[in-house]
Amino acid sequence: MKLRTTLFSALFLGLYVTAHANPNPEPDHTKIPEWAVIKDLMFGDRVINPDDREVIRVYLNTRADDAATVPVMINGLIDQSPTDYIKTMYVIVDRNPIPTAGIFRFTPDSGRVKMETRLRFEQYSFVRAVAELNDGRLYMSQRWVKAAGGCSAPMGKNVAADSMGKMRFRVDDQVEYDKPMLIELQVRHPNESALASDLDPDHVPQFVRNVNVDYNGDPVMSGEVNYSLSDNPVFRFYFVPRAEGDLNVKVEDTHDSVYTQSMRVSEEDGVAAQ
Amino acid sequence: MLLDWKMKITQMPVYLQVNNTRSEDSASAELQIGTALPFPGGRSCDDYLFYKFASMLALVLALFPFVLPVKQVLAQSVAFAIEEIAPGNYVHYGSYADRSPQNFGDNANVGFIVGDTCVLVFDSGGSFAVGQALRNAIRSVTDKPVCYVVISHVHPDHFFGTAAFLAEEPEIIGHENLPLQLAARGRHYEMTLARDLGDASEGSRIVLPTKTLAAGTTMTVALGGRDVEIRAWAPAHTDNDLSVIDLSTSTLWLGDLLFVDHTPILDSNITGFLAVMKELRELHIRHYIPGHGRSDLPWPQVMDPQQRYFELILTETRQAIRDNVRLMDAVNQIGYSQAQNWVNFETYHRRNVTTAYTELEWE
Ligand SMILES: [Zn+2]
Repeated sequence: MKLRTTLFSALFLGLYVTAHANPNPEPDHTKIPEWAVIKDLMFGDRVINPDDREVIRVYLNTRADDAATVPVMINGLIDQSPTDYIKTMYVIVDRNPIPTAGIFRFTPDSGRVKMETRLRFEQYSFVRAVAELNDGRLYMSQRWVKAAGGCSAPMGKNVAADSMGKMRFRVDDQVEYDKPMLIELQVRHPNESALASDLDPDHVPQFVRNVNVDYNGDPVMSGEVNYSLSDNPVFRFYFVPRAEGDLNVKVEDTHDSVYTQSMRVSEEDGVAAQ
Repeated sequence: MLLDWKMKITQMPVYLQVNNTRSEDSASAELQIGTALPFPGGRSCDDYLFYKFASMLALVLALFPFVLPVKQVLAQSVAFAIEEIAPGNYVHYGSYADRSPQNFGDNANVGFIVGDTCVLVFDSGGSFAVGQALRNAIRSVTDKPVCYVVISHVHPDHFFGTAAFLAEEPEIIGHENLPLQLAARGRHYEMTLARDLGDASEGSRIVLPTKTLAAGTTMTVALGGRDVEIRAWAPAHTDNDLSVIDLSTSTLWLGDLLFVDHTPILDSNITGFLAVMKELRELHIRHYIPGHGRSDLPWPQVMDPQQRYFELILTETRQAIRDNVRLMDAVNQIGYSQAQNWVNFETYHRRNVTTAYTELEWE
């Protein structure tokens, strides 16, 4: 998959340079040339069921005000059951240098599928969420976003080296076993964009490429991501604690730095970062 | 009150015109400075009432672009008036309207300080054309060379005119973070300027500073008969803000550290911006030039509205984060009691909240 991402990157840098930016009215989402290529590469000739809003749905504010920080919420609309569940969620920004902003994997134990995060938009573009069910069916929801320059914006928040990779959870302190629990994971990281080029041409942009979450060793959620995510990446998602345990997060970036953080979860004591 | 009628208008307004016929000369030959007023009949420089009317009309046009008949008259020319707001300190006030081929991206307040031997330019405007008009305005006042161009920060309405001064080989002074920011944003800025201005963007390009200043430091330059202090700030409006004080007249050039009437913009750090404003308030200032807008309120009271705006965002954003309000919803809830106080609120406010939220969620 890493190879594939690199391929997208190379392919779309070309498109990025030549595409002209005047798409003020919302275009027909089925007629986007970038999407035709992405669809072919990622899904071949598999059928993608159009936006039926019964399986997956993308939510955004109608106005995107900061192209470097566009909040999106993608909700799975079916119950995650062992026989019928969303296995993978592809988040695609057609016209970004790396269009696959995130590939998130879930399990029946996710309870409900949700991913809230913040994206960069380099050009006016559709953002699409494609849900792949456990039996292979594909469903898509998409929204048009008028925001540009987000990948060229600086990583100006100046993440100090000593806080790099620091993580925080924001959760409801009331824990109830067997009920979906909403987790917000914040990662302190500049998530450097390859477009906001440094003065140093040899600098390899340092951005988060993997996030893995498990509970007592069982996978909860994992994501392959890149600099289509805003700096200081944020992830909001559900998981279902069945018993007392540790929620463990591992984040890896393109400089092969690995950051970890755990949180103790119990009905009696609530939650505590470790 | 937006306009200070008491201020002395020393210059005949000059008008920047686009020639429809292209000459063989450089791009700049397309832009000529004339004194053709878009109003019928000649007026003398001393006709105070005329200027009052003209300034008012310009303001109305800037604020209400739907006043069509007169706008069409103005379509081919942009007023480039300068005012001497303190001895030797000349300001051109930019427009609030979106940048367009008609206004050449003339949005920021820019100006210059004239000494016995040198001129210092504070911000060069939103396009080569504006820089050119500013240079012509300087030449209408003095023949002293432009020794310094100070770039207040990385925003395109403040620096794209710098290329117009290169022939004079000035020292181009910026914050130590400016080169990196220009490198990161430059390509996008050039692309969007060309998109918005079309041919009117011609000649505009990124010019890197020849001298940079570290945050928290100052540098004094002599213009002949007057010294000017340049100060580099810690992250506030951007992470590369500079201000200038003409020490001989206590005139403070703030760049976008101060907005008047135009919605303040936060592109770096809200707690930093409030801290910088606190420091600025301590300065003993007789005249000041905001980055956008104008006022006749005394210093430092002129900063009060901006300070109230940011303090409100700070308080409400912290509360929203405590209440677990997600960013997507917070931008629609925070700070709207200020909506009536500012021009272009819809365009900039939510972005400000986004910047504040993503900073404060790490407190
Ligand atoms: Zn600015």
